[in-house]
Amino acid sequence: MKQRFISSAQIILQFALTTVGLTGQSYPGKPQIIRCRSLEKETFSCWWKPGSDGGHPNNYTLFYSKDSEEKIYECPDYLTSGPNSCYFDKNHTNPWTTYIITVMATNEIGSNSSDPQHVDVTSIVQPDAPVNLSLETNTSANMSYLWAKWSPPLLADASSNSHEYHYELRLKPEEKEEWETVSVGVQTHYEVSSLQAGVKYIVQVRCMLDLGEWSEWSSEKSIQIPKERLPPEKPTIIKCRSPEKETFTCWWKPASDGGLSTNHTLLYSKEGEEKVYECPDYKTAGPNSCYFDKKHTSFWTIYNITVRATNEMGSNVSDPHYVDVTYIVQPDPPVNITLELKKSIKRKPYLVLTWSPPPLADVRSGWLTLEYELRLKPEEGEEWETIFVGQQTQCKMFSLNPGKRYIVQIHCKPDHHGLWSEWSPEMYIEIPTDFKVKDMVVWIIVGVLSSLICLIMSWIMILKGYRMMAFILPPVPGPKIKGIDTHLLETGKSEELLSALGCHGFPPTSDCEELLIEYLEVEDSEDQQLMPNHDTPSKNTKIVLKETDSDSGRGSCDSPSLLPVKCREPRGLPSALQTQDVRAKEKKGEKGSWEAQCMASEQKTLPCNNESTKSCTWLAAQLPSTQPAMFAYHSTVEAFKMTLNTTNVNTSPVLVGNEENHQSLYPIAETVYDDVEKVGENSKTDQTTVQVRQNQHNDKSPFLNPKLMDYVEVHKVRQDEEPTLLLKHKENNGKTKKCTVSGTNKEYTKVSTVVDHHILVLLPDQRTQNTPVSQEPVAETSQNPQQSQAEKNTSYSMTTPSDSRRDTSGSDYMDPSSFMPSFK
Amino acid sequence: MSTKGAPLKGLLLVVLLVSHMLLTKEGVTSLPICPSGSVSCQLSLEELFDRAVKLSHYIHFLSSEMFNEFDERYAQGRGFIAKAVNSCHTASLTTPEDKEQAQQIHHEDLLNLILGVLRSWNDPLIHLASEVQRIKEAPETILSKAVEIEEQNKRLQEGMEKIVGRVHSGEVGNDIYTPWDGLPSLQLADEDSRLFAFYNLLHCLRRDSHKIDNYLKVLKCRLIHDNNC
Repeated sequence: MKQRFISSAQIILQFALTTVGLTGQSYPGKPQIIRCRSLEKETFSCWWKPGSDGGHPNNYTLFYSKDSEEKIYECPDYLTSGPNSCYFDKNHTNPWTTYIITVMATNEIGSNSSDPQHVDVTSIVQPDAPVNLSLETNTSANMSYLWAKWSPPLLADASSNSHEYHYELRLKPEEKEEWETVSVGVQTHYEVSSLQAGVKYIVQVRCMLDLGEWSEWSSEKSIQIPKERLPPEKPTIIKCRSPEKETFTCWWKPASDGGLSTNHTLLYSKEGEEKVYECPDYKTAGPNSCYFDKKHTSFWTIYNITVRATNEMGSNVSDPHYVDVTYIVQPDPPVNITLELKKSIKRKPYLVLTWSPPPLADVRSGWLTLEYELRLKPEEGEEWETIFVGQQTQCKMFSLNPGKRYIVQIHCKPDHHGLWSEWSPEMYIEIPTDFKVKDMVVWIIVGVLSSLICLIMSWIMILKGYRMMAFILPPVPGPKIKGIDTHLLETGKSEELLSALGCHGFPPTSDCEELLIEYLEVEDSEDQQLMPNHDTPSKNTKIVLKETDSDSGRGSCDSPSLLPVKCREPRGLPSALQTQDVRAKEKKGEKGSWEAQCMASEQKTLPCNNESTKSCTWLAAQLPSTQPAMFAYHSTVEAFKMTLNTTNVNTSPVLVGNEENHQSLYPIAETVYDDVEKVGENSKTDQTTVQVRQNQHNDKSPFLNPKLMDYVEVHKVRQDEEPTLLLKHKENNGKTKKCTVSGTNKEYTKVSTVVDHHILVLLPDQRTQNTPVSQEPVAETSQNPQQSQAEKNTSYSMTTPSDSRRDTSGSDYMDPSSFMPSFK
Repeated sequence: MSTKGAPLKGLLLVVLLVSHMLLTKEGVTSLPICPSGSVSCQLSLEELFDRAVKLSHYIHFLSSEMFNEFDERYAQGRGFIAKAVNSCHTASLTTPEDKEQAQQIHHEDLLNLILGVLRSWNDPLIHLASEVQRIKEAPETILSKAVEIEEQNKRLQEGMEKIVGRVHSGEVGNDIYTPWDGLPSLQLADEDSRLFAFYNLLHCLRRDSHKIDNYLKVLKCRLIHDNNC
C-alpha cells in the first residue's frame, strides 16, 4: 500500500519538478542501483549510482520491502560498504526472502526514485578473492613440485568464517599467455607437478560459494622452479688445432649441465707417461678451451685428452681424444698479400702476387714448412681457378683477361700434414685494358667502312647494273651464219661445227633415221604419248641418244614433246628447229587443224605410195626392223643426192617432208606401214639400193645438211605467213605447184626454196611420205652431236637384237602404225 | 777423417776442414764446392742437405701414404690408436719434442740422432717389406711402398753419413742405435694382434720419418741458411 502510495506521490512530484525544471533548477536525476552482492550469503550490500543532482546537494535514501511483508524499511547501514551503498547485516538478511529495493534521491526541489530492484540473496553471492597465497617448490627424485597455499577471503563480519568455498587455481610459465586452470576443491592448498625445470611460474586462486559466482582471481604470485639437479652429461671435444706447430688448443662442447653450475676439467696424459695432467690454461683461448703453451706441447707424442664435467650431482667424462700435434697444424692465412701489375717485354701485363707466411708461423727456422695455394676468379665469375704454388711466396699470373677485375685469395698448409688455413681476405685487382683493344677498334672501324663502301658499290651496280655490264662486258655478237648453232660453238665440237657450216664430213645419215623415229613417235601418241616414249628410260640406245640430244637442245626446245625437233637443232639447223617447235606448239593448241593436216597427209600418202614407191618403201623397210631406220636415213640421203645431183622429184619432196613435220609424219608413217605390208618385196629391193647409197650419202651428207637448213628456214616463213609461201610457190617450178595442190602444201613450198638454192626441181609428187623420210636425216644429225657415228652404229647393232618394240627403232615405228587405225 | 794421405793433399784438406768447422760453428754457411786446387770435387753441404731433405720428404710422404692406406683398410674401428701409445721401438732415443728443443740441441747431436733413428729402422724395414706380403689381401701399393721406403732409407742413411762426416768434428758415433724386436709380433697368428703390430710399426715409421724430415729441415735452415730460410 505504502509502496503504491509512494510511487503515486513520486509521479505527482515528478510533474511538479518538471515544471520547476523548466524554470532553471530541477529535482535530482534518477539514481541507479548498480549491483547487490552477498559475500557469504549471510549479509549483502547494494551499491547505486547517483543521477544528476539537479543543482543541489542530494540526499539518498534506500528503501526496501520484503516480498513477504508490506512494510517498507530504510537501509540499516549506509556506511559499512562505503559511499552510495547499503549494507545489510546478518540480522537484516534473510536468504529465503526476496528484497525489493529502491533508492530515492532528494533535494530542495524534489526527489527521484530509482527503478525497484528485486534481490534474492542466494543468487547474488560472490565472495572476495582468496588471500594470502603462498608458493613453494619442492624437488624430490628429479621431479619438481609446486606447493600453493592460500586463505579464504576475509569477511567484514569476522565471526562468520565457517563458509565452505570451492577454489580454483591457475598457473602459467611467466613468458606464456595461456593459463592452465586447475579445480582444487575445498582445500586451501594444492600441489602442482610436471613442471618445467628452470621456469618461473605465475599462480592465481579464486573461490566460490556453492551457488554463487566465482570471485575475482587473487593477486598473482610467482615462483621460480629450480633447474634439475643432475650430473652433467658427457662433454665433447670438438677439435684441437695448432696454429704454428708450437702450441695448440683444444675446444670442447659442454653438454647439459643438469641445472647446476658445472665445472669442466681437461685432463691429458702424454704418450710414455703414466701421469695425468690438467689443462695448463683454460683462459687464453676463451671459454671451453684449453691452451697448451710451448712448454706443454710436444711433438711426435700422442696426447690422450679427456674433458670432465662436474657438478654437485656428479661428473661425466668425455670420450678420449688422441692427438699428435704434428698432424693438427692449421696455420693462419697468409698476410701481406700484394698484387702488382707488371708489363712484359711484349707489353702484355701480368700479375705478380707476393705474400708473407702468417706471423705466428716460424718458417725461417725450418721447423714449419708451409705450402701455398692461391685461387682467383673474375669478379663476376662463378668458379675459382686454384693454383698450387708450393713453398714459394710469390707467383706470377699470365694470361689474365684485360679489363676484368679479379679476386685473389691465398691460403697455406704445412707440408705433409695438417689442414689448409682459412682463405685470406679477398684481394681485388683490375687488369687494365690492353692497347690491343685500340687496335681492335681501328680494325672494327676499317671493317665497317669497307663494308659500307661495298654496300654503296653494290647499290650502284643494281641501279645501273645493266649499263655497267654493257660497258664493261659488251655483248658478244651471236653467229650470224645461218645454221650455225651457238650451242655447238660453245661445246666446241669441231665435227659438228663443220657440219653446221656445211662441211659434209660427218655422217648425218644415221641421225636422219632417228629423226624419223621421233617423228613417228610424236604423231602416234600425240603429245601425251610422246612424253612417255621419251621419258621411259628405254633400252634402246637411240632413245637414249635422243634424250641426250634433247638435253643439249633444251635451250631452244620449249616442250618435251618437241624432243625430236630438238634433235635436229644440234645438227646445225637451229632456226629451223625453232620454227618447228613453234609449229608443234601451234599444233598442240589446235588439234583440229593438226588432225586436218593429218588427214591431208593421209590423203597424200596414198598418192605418194602410188606415185613414189621408193620413198614409201623406204619408210616401210624402216618400220619392221631396226635397220629400217638406217634405210630410211639412207633413203633420205638418196633423196638428198637426188635433189643435189639430179634434182629428182622424189627426193625433193622428202626434204620438204623433213621440215614439214610430225603432223604429216604420223599419217605418213601409217601410209608407209601400209605400204610396207603391201609392197614388202619392193621395199626390200629398195633397201639394198639404199644401203649402197648410204655410203655415198655419208660422203655427201654434209651437202645435204646445209640444204636442209635452208629448207627449214623456208618452212618458218611458210608457216608463219602463207602469202610468203605462196610467193615461193610462184618462184618454184611447176612441180611446186603440185605440192601446193597436196594437203601438205607448205612442205612443198619449202622444197621450192631448196630448189632455188640448189637448182633443184621439185616434183608435184611431193607428199607427206617424202616428208618423213626427210625428217629421218635430221634426227640422225641430231644424234651426231652427242655420239660419234661409230657409236651410233654400235647402238644400232645393239638395238636390233632386242625384241621389244621400244628398244628397236622399228618398234618405235610400229607404235605409230598401231595407232594408225584409230586415226583412220 | 783420413787426411793422412799424401802430405800436400792432406794438408790442404785439413785446412779446409778446419776452416769449415770454424765457419759452421759460428753458424755461417760453409760450402766451398770445388775450390781451386782441391783434388776431389765434392758436393757442397747445401747440396747434400737439399738432397737429404728431398729424400726424407719423399720417405715421409711414402710412409704416411702407406700408413693411411693401411689405416683405412685394416684399422677402422679397432681402436689401434689408443693401443699404439708409447710403443715405438725408437722411443728410447731421446729426440727433440718441440721447436725449442730442436733448436737448442747441437746440430752434431741432432745429426747423430737422425742417423741413429735411420739405423734403427734398417732392420724393421727389411722385415716389413717381407712381412707385408703376408697380410691378407695386402694391396700391391703397400708392398711397393714398403720396398721403396726401405731402399730410400738406406740412401738417406748414406747421405746422412756423408753430411755427418762433413760436419762432424769428432768421431762419428756409431753407437746410437735401437734394436727392434718386433718381428715376432708381425708374425703373430692372431690376425688382430698381427694387424696391430703392423699398424704400430707403420705408425712409428710415419712418425720417425716425419721427425727426420723435420729435423733435417731445421738443420738445413740452421746450417745452410743461418736460420733464415
